[in-house]
Amino acid sequence: MSGPAAPALRLVPLELELSFATSDWRQDPVGLCRRALAAHGEPLRWAITAAEVRPGGQQWLRLEAVLLVP
Amino acid sequence: MSAELPTLLLIPTGIGCDQGGYAGDALPVARLLAAASGCLITHPNVMNGASLYWSDARIQYVEGWCLDAFTRGALRLRPQRRQRLGLLLDAAIEPELALRQRQVFEAAGATLGLEIGPLISTDAPLGVSLRLAAGGSSWGSLERPDALLRAGERLRQAGATAIAVVARFPEDSSAEALQAYRSGSGVDALAGAEALISHLLGRHLGLPCAHAPALAPLAPMAELDPRAAAEELGYTFLPSVLVGLSRAPDLLPPEHAALPGDLSIGQVGAVVAPAGALGGEALLSCAARGIPVIAVQSNHCLLQVGAEQLGLTVLGAPDYCAAAGLVLALREGLAPRALCRPLPPLEDLSG
Repeated sequence: MSGPAAPALRLVPLELELSFATSDWRQDPVGLCRRALAAHGEPLRWAITAAEVRPGGQQWLRLEAVLLVP
Repeated sequence: MSAELPTLLLIPTGIGCDQGGYAGDALPVARLLAAASGCLITHPNVMNGASLYWSDARIQYVEGWCLDAFTRGALRLRPQRRQRLGLLLDAAIEPELALRQRQVFEAAGATLGLEIGPLISTDAPLGVSLRLAAGGSSWGSLERPDALLRAGERLRQAGATAIAVVARFPEDSSAEALQAYRSGSGVDALAGAEALISHLLGRHLGLPCAHAPALAPLAPMAELDPRAAAEELGYTFLPSVLVGLSRAPDLLPPEHAALPGDLSIGQVGAVVAPAGALGGEALLSCAARGIPVIAVQSNHCLLQVGAEQLGLTVLGAPDYCAAAGLVLALREGLAPRALCRPLPPLEDLSG
């Protein structure tokens, strides 16, 4: 069967630990996470699987994701 | 009754939620919240009970990637009475199991009156694999996303406006994990890979999509948990997916001209989620927009990503009955804190 050209993509799992100033985190949580993930590929599915507000005004996160990579 | 309050119900898949972590076992919750809100937007994991389903015109069935895009303001929803369904079958499905899927598709037209459109098999096996993350949540992968997208494009070209995908899933390699799931104490190991398949297709096609796994029937188990039982009633998990998609809303980019009745994130008045699973994109987008977050404490899961850990302000609800009460209060314009005792003191800024 010959079909229309679909893009060649790979699905790549990724785990990231991130830390942000809580003031930044509260303003744009999704944008911060998506930009961090975008450095590795296009986020297809992601979630924060651990988090903690740390002393010194830091928001710590662990993200698990599956990225689309050409 | 006041005007409807569009409400989002989120129960993330593959994290072992007590309610919604099995076979459509959050459907009663969805029905309750649909009645309380008048308009509930939720995702297939909540609604799909394999052979069991419930159709309610107040419920909008939206796949997870599209739901994330909706909450970012990148999509609007246009409620529909009917979609023309396409069926996409993984070439890895054995002939007898594929025949069962085709017959369910035909039965949905003959018995339920759904609009049945084209079907296709992929030009290569999709190669689904399952994976549990270190924390125990379910993920997974796909070897041939290109084959999935090609088949989806052909269905769209042939006039399908919503696509049901059936992929061959590996028979669970861990008998222990399967036993735990069937006994009501485990994670749905298939859920993470299922989400990837529908996310990938929804993102690529811009059409409503949802997934059902193809698996060989299991031997009956006397101690089967009722929450998992809906998956053991038949040969396929497809009926609920077809019914859900048959009235799924169209997905429109923001530049598309709006019509009365369209739903955008600006109209959403509440979001309901398990108290320990607040770290998903849709929930965080809503919180950042100031949409009230109702965190349900009774729906335990593997994660402990709650309001305290994320620095979020939420309305706590001990269970979904209380959450429905909060949705109703918000719909009526009542301040939820006015319903609590003791009343909080005034916030005096003058001194």
